[in-house]
Amino acid sequence: MDKSKKKVLIYRIIALVVLVLIATAMFIIGRGHTVYFDNKPLEYGGKTIDEVPYKIDVLVNGEKVASIKEGERGMVDTMGQNFNMQLLVTKEKDGKTSKIQVGLPLPYNMDGIILNLPAMLAGLPQDAYISEFIPTPSAAELEDEEVVTDETEGLMDFGE
Amino acid sequence: MSKNSLGDYLRRFSVPLMFLLICAVCAPISGLSPSYLANEIVTRMGRNAFLILSLLIPIMAGMGLNFSMTLGAMAGEIGLILVCDWQIVGIPGMVLAMIISIPISALLGLFCGKVLNMAKGREMITSYIISFFINGIYQLVVLYLMGPVIPIKHGTIKLPRGYGVRNTVSLLSMRQKLDNLIPLTIAGVKIPVATFIIVFLLCLVIIWFRKTKLGQDMRAVGQDMEVARDAGIDVERTRIISMVLSTVFAGIGMIIYLQNMGNIATYSSHSQIGMFCIAALLVGGASVDKASIGNVFLGIILFHTMFIVAPKAGTVITGDSMIGEYFRVFVSYAVITVALIMYETNKRKNKSKESQQLALSQEEEVNG
Repeated sequence: MDKSKKKVLIYRIIALVVLVLIATAMFIIGRGHTVYFDNKPLEYGGKTIDEVPYKIDVLVNGEKVASIKEGERGMVDTMGQNFNMQLLVTKEKDGKTSKIQVGLPLPYNMDGIILNLPAMLAGLPQDAYISEFIPTPSAAELEDEEVVTDETEGLMDFGE
Repeated sequence: MSKNSLGDYLRRFSVPLMFLLICAVCAPISGLSPSYLANEIVTRMGRNAFLILSLLIPIMAGMGLNFSMTLGAMAGEIGLILVCDWQIVGIPGMVLAMIISIPISALLGLFCGKVLNMAKGREMITSYIISFFINGIYQLVVLYLMGPVIPIKHGTIKLPRGYGVRNTVSLLSMRQKLDNLIPLTIAGVKIPVATFIIVFLLCLVIIWFRKTKLGQDMRAVGQDMEVARDAGIDVERTRIISMVLSTVFAGIGMIIYLQNMGNIATYSSHSQIGMFCIAALLVGGASVDKASIGNVFLGIILFHTMFIVAPKAGTVITGDSMIGEYFRVFVSYAVITVALIMYETNKRKNKSKESQQLALSQEEEVNG
């Protein structure tokens, strides 16, 4: 192989490697998740975590994304594998609010992730307060869909 | 200015002038506010410019209007469908979709270039038919292979029968992420700054490319293939490269287009896009053998102004919004037809002029 062809081949390999590296980075930093916040009691290891705060406000990037009262659920769409949020926890009605900063890694394989906030605040291990959200398909999603591949469908139908 | 040159000038710019007239008449009738019109035009400029710019390189190489830009659009759509299923969102999702689309576009461009080399002189009709052929393969992949062969997980993308992709795929997770990356509003008009930066970069690349050795070769091939061959240029290879570049740019352009729209019409987005991009370029004053960056932007402004105002004006005049809809679609096809007729007429005129000159010189030689 002559020198110039070798040079071209090297450039091509470098370009390919760079593209693969960028694609890998995009895979990691661009992974989207929907995080659901539960302010509900939870049973774990035979014990019930029933110390549920009156209200929890969830702030992501300084923006309030959910205000969850006892027994409620909130959600936010997020991107990437690390999730940081600020919780404003009000234990009782008209009570004092405490600020808690939380950062946690999100499992890559889960699209929807349920975080049980009372269990997390009680200091339970991650597998206790993280679970996968499996959506139930809506009736519209299950309905059969006719695929239209030809825009001129029907126009060439000249009858009998 | 002589009478003849004024006539030539009018003939050359007849299409843009006609559109200017249509827009000038329809805009006040439509009753749309100037700020709404400006907003729409700026949005459509960001949405379409990259795609239309991808048409310039084959014109430079003398291959005419690249109707097979839809091949790149299909590659872009495949990238987006996969990225949506993998749940890669926002700008990273777009970048990944572009990276996926590049090898697919390049392969399709290579195939198209090779076929067009076998059909020299009939590039446009051949590329048009190739787009139908590849559309069939695209449908086979998207309708039957996605699911059983290419894994598709999400029910929102996959058809309920278990294989194939739905008619519409939502791109909500990346909708206008590029447009809104650098937010800027001037006098109520939202400017998609990041998209414009990318379009500007492509313009710079095209200007730079024209000055490179390969760009000069393409222009030489575009002017006369035989002369270029005699000058030692590998004509076939140059033409293939122009098709590959155009298809790759079209793939990236389609991703930019669809992120603005916010959804993919899986089986129809690409087939419409080729036609409208070519129409817009022709409206900007381009011809089959000559097009510039200026034609792209003028074309977008005029063609899309007509696209926005025509249905409203149609409603006001006739009371039926469908009249305007028909009008704008009919005009798109009409513009392409007129451009092709003008191109053929000019070609024949030049040929007859050349043969007349040849006959004259031969006569002179014989006489004396």
